[in-house]
Amino acid sequence: MLPMRPELLKGHLDALLLAVLETGPQHGYAVIEALRSGSDGALDLPTGTVYPALHRLERAGLIASDWQTVGGRRRRSYHLTPAGHAALGEQRAVWDQFSTAVTALLTSRTWPATA
Amino acid sequence: MASHRITAHTDIRPAGELAGYLSDLAAQLRGPRHVREAILTELRDGLDHATEDHIAAGLPPDQATTAAITQFGTPHAVADAFGGELATAYARRTIVWFIATGPLVGIWWLLLLHPSPWRTGLIALLGAIPVIPLIVVAIATAGGTLATTGPLMRWLPETGPRWALAATTAIATLCMVGDLTMITMLMISGMPTRPLAAIAVAASLTRIARSITTVRHATRMRSR
Repeated sequence: MLPMRPELLKGHLDALLLAVLETGPQHGYAVIEALRSGSDGALDLPTGTVYPALHRLERAGLIASDWQTVGGRRRRSYHLTPAGHAALGEQRAVWDQFSTAVTALLTSRTWPATA
Repeated sequence: MASHRITAHTDIRPAGELAGYLSDLAAQLRGPRHVREAILTELRDGLDHATEDHIAAGLPPDQATTAAITQFGTPHAVADAFGGELATAYARRTIVWFIATGPLVGIWWLLLLHPSPWRTGLIALLGAIPVIPLIVVAIATAGGTLATTGPLMRWLPETGPRWALAATTAIATLCMVGDLTMITMLMISGMPTRPLAAIAVAASLTRIARSITTVRHATRMRSR
Protein backbone atom coordinates (compact mmCIF):
# COMPACT_ATOMS: atom_id res chain seq x y z
CA MET A 1 0.00 0.00 0.00
CA LEU A 2 1.34 3.44 -0.90
CA PRO A 3 2.09 5.76 2.05
CA MET A 4 -0.28 8.71 2.38
CA ARG A 5 1.00 12.26 2.44
CA PRO A 6 0.72 13.89 5.90
CA GLU A 7 -1.30 16.75 4.37
CA LEU A 8 -4.12 14.31 3.58
CA LEU A 9 -4.51 13.66 7.30
CA LYS A 10 -5.11 17.29 8.15
CA GLY A 11 -7.96 17.43 10.62
CA HIS A 12 -7.79 13.70 11.37
CA LEU A 13 -4.35 13.30 12.92
CA ASP A 14 -5.56 14.17 16.42
CA ALA A 15 -8.21 11.44 16.30
CA LEU A 16 -5.70 8.90 14.98
CA LEU A 17 -3.23 9.65 17.76
CA LEU A 18 -5.96 9.46 20.39
CA ALA A 19 -7.13 6.14 18.95
CA VAL A 20 -3.61 4.70 19.09
CA LEU A 21 -3.27 5.73 22.74
CA GLU A 22 -6.68 4.35 23.65
CA THR A 23 -5.22 0.89 24.18
CA GLY A 24 -2.69 2.11 26.76
CA PRO A 25 0.37 4.28 27.35
CA GLN A 26 2.89 4.45 24.53
CA HIS A 27 6.01 6.45 23.77
CA GLY A 28 6.35 8.63 20.67
CA TYR A 29 8.18 6.17 18.43
CA ALA A 30 5.75 3.42 19.38
CA VAL A 31 2.90 5.69 18.31
CA ILE A 32 4.55 6.16 14.90
CA GLU A 33 4.97 2.40 14.58
CA ALA A 34 1.40 1.74 15.69
CA LEU A 35 0.09 4.12 13.02
CA ARG A 36 2.21 2.41 10.39
CA SER A 37 1.40 -1.16 11.35
CA GLY A 38 -2.25 -0.44 12.09
CA SER A 39 -2.73 0.99 8.59
CA ASP A 40 -0.70 -1.66 6.72
CA GLY A 41 1.96 0.94 5.98
CA ALA A 42 -0.40 3.56 4.57
CA LEU A 43 0.18 5.95 7.48
CA ASP A 44 3.96 6.16 7.54
CA LEU A 45 4.19 9.56 9.19
CA PRO A 46 7.45 11.40 9.76
CA THR A 47 8.80 12.12 13.22
CA GLY A 48 8.31 15.82 12.62
CA THR A 49 4.57 15.30 12.26
CA VAL A 50 3.85 12.92 15.13
CA TYR A 51 5.97 14.22 18.03
CA PRO A 52 4.85 17.88 17.78
CA ALA A 53 1.24 16.68 17.38
CA LEU A 54 1.56 14.69 20.62
CA HIS A 55 2.93 17.78 22.39
CA ARG A 56 0.03 19.83 21.09
CA LEU A 57 -2.51 17.25 22.31
CA GLU A 58 -0.86 17.33 25.72
CA ARG A 59 -1.10 21.14 25.76
CA ALA A 60 -4.81 20.77 24.96
CA GLY A 61 -5.21 18.43 27.93
CA LEU A 62 -6.33 15.47 25.78
CA ILE A 63 -3.29 13.38 26.66
CA ALA A 64 -0.74 13.49 29.48
CA SER A 65 2.82 12.25 29.67
CA ASP A 66 5.08 10.63 32.27
CA TRP A 67 8.82 10.28 32.29
CA GLN A 68 10.25 6.91 33.21
CA THR A 69 13.74 5.48 33.27
CA VAL A 70 13.89 2.14 31.50
CA GLY A 71 17.18 0.34 30.93
CA GLY A 72 19.10 3.51 31.81
CA ARG A 73 17.21 5.57 29.22
CA ARG A 74 14.71 8.28 29.97
CA ARG A 75 11.46 7.70 28.19
CA ARG A 76 8.34 9.81 27.84
CA SER A 77 5.13 7.85 27.58
CA TYR A 78 1.75 9.31 26.72
CA HIS A 79 -1.69 8.27 27.88
CA LEU A 80 -5.23 9.50 27.31
CA THR A 81 -6.84 11.79 29.86
CA PRO A 82 -10.58 11.59 30.58
CA ALA A 83 -10.99 14.60 28.26
CA GLY A 84 -9.05 12.68 25.62
CA HIS A 85 -11.38 9.67 25.92
CA ALA A 86 -14.37 11.99 25.51
CA ALA A 87 -12.80 13.78 22.53
CA LEU A 88 -12.03 10.46 20.84
CA GLY A 89 -15.66 9.41 21.18
CA GLU A 90 -16.81 12.68 19.64
CA GLN A 91 -14.30 12.45 16.80
CA ARG A 92 -15.34 8.88 16.04
CA ALA A 93 -18.95 10.01 15.68
CA VAL A 94 -17.90 12.87 13.39
CA TRP A 95 -15.77 10.51 11.30
CA ASP A 96 -18.61 7.98 10.94
CA GLN A 97 -20.88 10.72 9.64
CA PHE A 98 -18.21 12.17 7.35
CA SER A 99 -17.04 8.86 5.91
CA THR A 100 -20.60 7.68 5.28
CA ALA A 101 -21.36 10.87 3.37
CA VAL A 102 -18.13 10.83 1.35
CA THR A 103 -18.40 7.12 0.58
CA ALA A 104 -21.97 7.59 -0.63
CA LEU A 105 -20.86 10.34 -2.99
CA LEU A 106 -17.67 8.75 -4.26
CA THR A 107 -19.25 5.37 -4.96
CA SER A 108 -22.38 6.77 -6.57
CA ARG A 109 -22.43 6.04 -10.32
CA THR A 110 -25.66 7.66 -11.36
CA TRP A 111 -26.26 11.31 -10.63
CA PRO A 112 -29.64 12.95 -10.61
CA ALA A 113 -30.29 15.02 -13.73
CA THR A 114 -30.41 18.76 -13.24
CA ALA A 115 -33.01 20.99 -14.82
CA MET B 1 8.58 -5.30 13.91
CA ALA B 2 9.46 -5.24 17.60
CA SER B 3 6.86 -4.19 20.12
CA HIS B 4 7.32 -0.64 21.49
CA ARG B 5 5.18 -0.94 24.56
CA ILE B 6 6.92 0.10 27.73
CA THR B 7 9.22 -2.82 28.38
CA ALA B 8 12.75 -3.13 29.65
CA HIS B 9 15.36 -3.49 26.92
CA THR B 10 19.08 -3.30 26.38
CA ASP B 11 20.73 0.13 26.26
CA ILE B 12 22.31 1.35 23.07
CA ARG B 13 25.30 3.63 23.63
CA PRO B 14 25.27 6.84 21.61
CA ALA B 15 27.20 6.29 18.44
CA GLY B 16 29.28 9.24 17.21
CA GLU B 17 26.86 9.75 14.35
CA LEU B 18 23.89 9.81 16.71
CA ALA B 19 25.61 12.22 19.10
CA GLY B 20 26.49 14.48 16.16
CA TYR B 21 22.91 14.39 14.90
CA LEU B 22 21.49 15.32 18.29
CA SER B 23 24.11 18.04 18.68
CA ASP B 24 23.16 19.56 15.29
CA LEU B 25 19.52 19.36 16.25
CA ALA B 26 20.15 20.98 19.65
CA ALA B 27 21.88 23.88 17.93
CA GLN B 28 18.83 24.51 15.75
CA LEU B 29 16.07 24.32 18.35
CA ARG B 30 14.90 27.69 19.67
CA GLY B 31 12.77 28.00 22.77
CA PRO B 32 12.69 27.39 26.53
CA ARG B 33 15.62 25.25 27.65
CA HIS B 34 13.61 22.67 29.58
CA VAL B 35 11.35 22.09 26.57
CA ARG B 36 14.35 21.71 24.24
CA GLU B 37 15.98 19.26 26.63
CA ALA B 38 12.77 17.25 26.87
CA ILE B 39 12.49 17.10 23.07
CA LEU B 40 16.09 15.93 22.69
CA THR B 41 15.70 13.27 25.39
CA GLU B 42 12.50 12.04 23.81
CA LEU B 43 13.98 11.92 20.31
CA ARG B 44 17.09 10.17 21.59
CA ASP B 45 14.88 7.42 23.01
CA GLY B 46 12.98 7.22 19.72
CA LEU B 47 16.20 7.00 17.73
CA ASP B 48 17.42 4.21 19.99
CA HIS B 49 14.19 2.32 19.36
CA ALA B 50 14.46 2.85 15.62
CA THR B 51 18.07 1.63 15.69
CA GLU B 52 17.04 -1.48 17.61
CA ASP B 53 14.36 -2.16 15.01
CA HIS B 54 16.83 -1.89 12.15
CA ILE B 55 19.28 -4.17 13.96
CA ALA B 56 16.48 -6.67 14.52
CA ALA B 57 15.73 -6.45 10.79
CA GLY B 58 19.31 -7.51 10.01
CA LEU B 59 21.33 -4.30 9.60
CA PRO B 60 24.73 -3.98 11.28
CA PRO B 61 24.70 -1.44 14.18
CA ASP B 62 26.41 1.42 12.34
CA GLN B 63 24.09 1.15 9.35
CA ALA B 64 21.13 0.78 11.70
CA THR B 65 22.00 4.10 13.33
CA THR B 66 22.30 5.78 9.92
CA ALA B 67 18.95 4.31 8.87
CA ALA B 68 17.28 5.52 12.08
CA ILE B 69 18.63 9.03 11.58
CA THR B 70 17.44 9.05 7.97
CA GLN B 71 14.03 7.88 9.13
CA PHE B 72 13.77 10.76 11.63
CA GLY B 73 14.75 13.45 9.11
CA THR B 74 17.44 16.10 8.92
CA PRO B 75 18.12 18.22 12.03
CA HIS B 76 16.81 21.24 10.13
CA ALA B 77 13.54 19.52 9.22
CA VAL B 78 12.99 18.22 12.75
CA ALA B 79 13.83 21.61 14.29
CA ASP B 80 11.38 23.26 11.87
CA ALA B 81 8.68 20.76 12.82
CA PHE B 82 9.08 21.54 16.52
CA GLY B 83 9.26 25.30 15.88
CA GLY B 84 5.56 25.88 16.49
CA GLU B 85 5.42 23.99 19.77
CA LEU B 86 8.60 25.65 21.02
CA ALA B 87 7.28 29.08 20.07
CA THR B 88 4.00 28.42 21.86
CA ALA B 89 5.85 27.12 24.93
CA TYR B 90 7.99 30.26 24.93
CA ALA B 91 4.94 32.51 24.57
CA ARG B 92 3.04 30.79 27.38
CA ARG B 93 5.99 30.77 29.77
CA THR B 94 6.77 34.44 29.08
CA ILE B 95 3.15 35.52 29.47
CA VAL B 96 2.94 33.69 32.80
CA TRP B 97 6.08 35.56 33.90
CA PHE B 98 4.51 38.93 33.03
CA ILE B 99 1.28 38.02 34.85
CA ALA B 100 3.17 36.79 37.92
CA THR B 101 5.48 39.78 38.16
CA GLY B 102 2.91 42.44 37.24
CA PRO B 103 1.64 42.90 40.81
CA LEU B 104 5.23 42.91 42.13
CA VAL B 105 5.96 45.96 39.98
CA GLY B 106 2.57 47.63 40.23
CA ILE B 107 2.27 47.53 44.01
CA TRP B 108 5.20 49.93 44.48
CA TRP B 109 3.76 52.47 42.05
CA LEU B 110 0.35 52.13 43.69
CA LEU B 111 1.81 52.73 47.13
CA LEU B 112 3.84 55.66 45.82
CA LEU B 113 1.26 57.44 43.70
CA HIS B 114 -2.12 56.39 45.06
CA PRO B 115 -4.61 59.26 45.22
CA SER B 116 -5.22 60.74 48.59
CA PRO B 117 -7.50 60.19 50.36
CA TRP B 118 -7.30 56.48 49.31
CA ARG B 119 -10.81 55.75 48.10
CA THR B 120 -11.69 58.54 45.70
CA GLY B 121 -12.86 56.45 42.77
CA LEU B 122 -11.67 55.34 39.38
CA ILE B 123 -11.10 58.82 37.93
CA ALA B 124 -8.70 59.77 40.71
CA LEU B 125 -6.92 56.43 40.37
CA LEU B 126 -6.57 56.92 36.59
CA GLY B 127 -5.21 60.41 37.22
CA ALA B 128 -2.58 59.06 39.59
CA ILE B 129 -1.73 55.95 37.55
CA PRO B 130 -2.69 56.67 33.93
CA VAL B 131 -1.29 53.40 32.61
CA ILE B 132 -4.18 51.39 34.08
CA PRO B 133 -5.90 51.05 30.65
CA LEU B 134 -2.65 49.60 29.26
CA ILE B 135 -2.56 47.11 32.13
CA VAL B 136 -6.15 46.08 31.43
CA VAL B 137 -5.39 45.50 27.73
CA ALA B 138 -2.23 43.55 28.61
CA ILE B 139 -4.10 41.33 31.10
CA ALA B 140 -6.90 40.67 28.60
CA THR B 141 -4.38 39.78 25.88
CA ALA B 142 -2.46 37.54 28.28
CA GLY B 143 -5.58 35.77 29.51
CA GLY B 144 -6.91 35.26 25.99
CA THR B 145 -3.62 33.88 24.70
CA LEU B 146 -3.15 31.50 27.62
CA ALA B 147 -6.73 30.28 27.27
CA THR B 148 -6.49 29.63 23.53
CA THR B 149 -3.10 27.92 23.64
CA GLY B 150 -3.91 25.68 26.62
CA PRO B 151 -6.66 23.26 27.65
CA LEU B 152 -9.41 25.76 26.75
CA MET B 153 -8.47 25.47 23.08
CA ARG B 154 -10.73 22.41 23.03
CA TRP B 155 -13.65 24.83 23.09
CA LEU B 156 -12.15 28.11 21.86
CA PRO B 157 -10.45 28.82 18.52
CA GLU B 158 -6.80 27.82 18.87
CA THR B 159 -4.18 30.56 18.71
CA GLY B 160 -1.33 29.54 16.44
CA PRO B 161 2.34 29.99 17.33
CA ARG B 162 2.80 33.19 15.29
CA TRP B 163 -0.17 34.87 16.93
CA ALA B 164 0.95 33.67 20.35
CA LEU B 165 4.34 35.28 19.73
CA ALA B 166 2.63 38.45 18.44
CA ALA B 167 0.54 38.59 21.61
CA THR B 168 3.67 38.11 23.73
CA THR B 169 5.36 40.98 21.89
CA ALA B 170 2.29 43.17 22.41
CA ILE B 171 2.20 42.41 26.15
CA ALA B 172 5.92 43.14 26.53
CA THR B 173 5.52 46.39 24.58
CA LEU B 174 2.55 47.47 26.70
CA CYS B 175 4.56 46.78 29.87
CA MET B 176 7.50 48.73 28.48
CA VAL B 177 5.33 51.73 27.56
CA GLY B 178 3.64 51.60 30.97
CA ASP B 179 6.93 51.41 32.87
CA LEU B 180 8.51 54.23 30.84
CA THR B 181 5.41 56.37 31.34
CA MET B 182 5.49 55.86 35.12
CA ILE B 183 9.22 56.60 35.37
CA THR B 184 8.82 59.73 33.22
CA MET B 185 5.86 60.91 35.32
CA LEU B 186 7.89 60.47 38.48
CA MET B 187 10.86 62.37 37.08
CA ILE B 188 8.83 65.36 35.90
CA SER B 189 6.69 65.46 39.06
CA GLY B 190 9.56 66.80 41.13
CA MET B 191 8.63 64.38 43.89
CA PRO B 192 11.42 64.10 46.49
CA THR B 193 13.44 60.91 46.22
CA ARG B 194 12.14 58.26 48.60
CA PRO B 195 13.08 54.60 49.08
CA LEU B 196 9.66 53.64 47.74
CA ALA B 197 10.31 55.56 44.52
CA ALA B 198 13.71 53.91 44.13
CA ILE B 199 12.15 50.45 44.53
CA ALA B 200 9.37 51.26 42.03
CA VAL B 201 11.85 52.58 39.44
CA ALA B 202 14.16 49.58 39.96
CA ALA B 203 11.25 47.17 39.52
CA SER B 204 10.15 48.93 36.33
CA LEU B 205 13.67 49.05 34.92
CA THR B 206 14.02 45.30 35.55
CA ARG B 207 10.78 44.66 33.71
CA ILE B 208 11.81 46.97 30.85
CA ALA B 209 14.99 44.94 30.43
CA ARG B 210 12.98 41.72 30.37
CA SER B 211 10.49 43.27 27.93
CA ILE B 212 13.26 44.24 25.51
CA THR B 213 14.67 40.72 25.65
CA THR B 214 11.20 39.28 25.10
CA VAL B 215 10.51 41.47 22.06
CA ARG B 216 13.89 40.51 20.59
CA HIS B 217 13.40 36.76 21.15
CA ALA B 218 9.79 36.73 19.97
CA THR B 219 10.64 38.69 16.82
CA ARG B 220 13.51 36.29 16.05
CA MET B 221 11.27 33.25 16.57
CA ARG B 222 8.52 34.72 14.38
CA SER B 223 10.96 35.31 11.54
CA ARG B 224 12.04 31.65 11.48
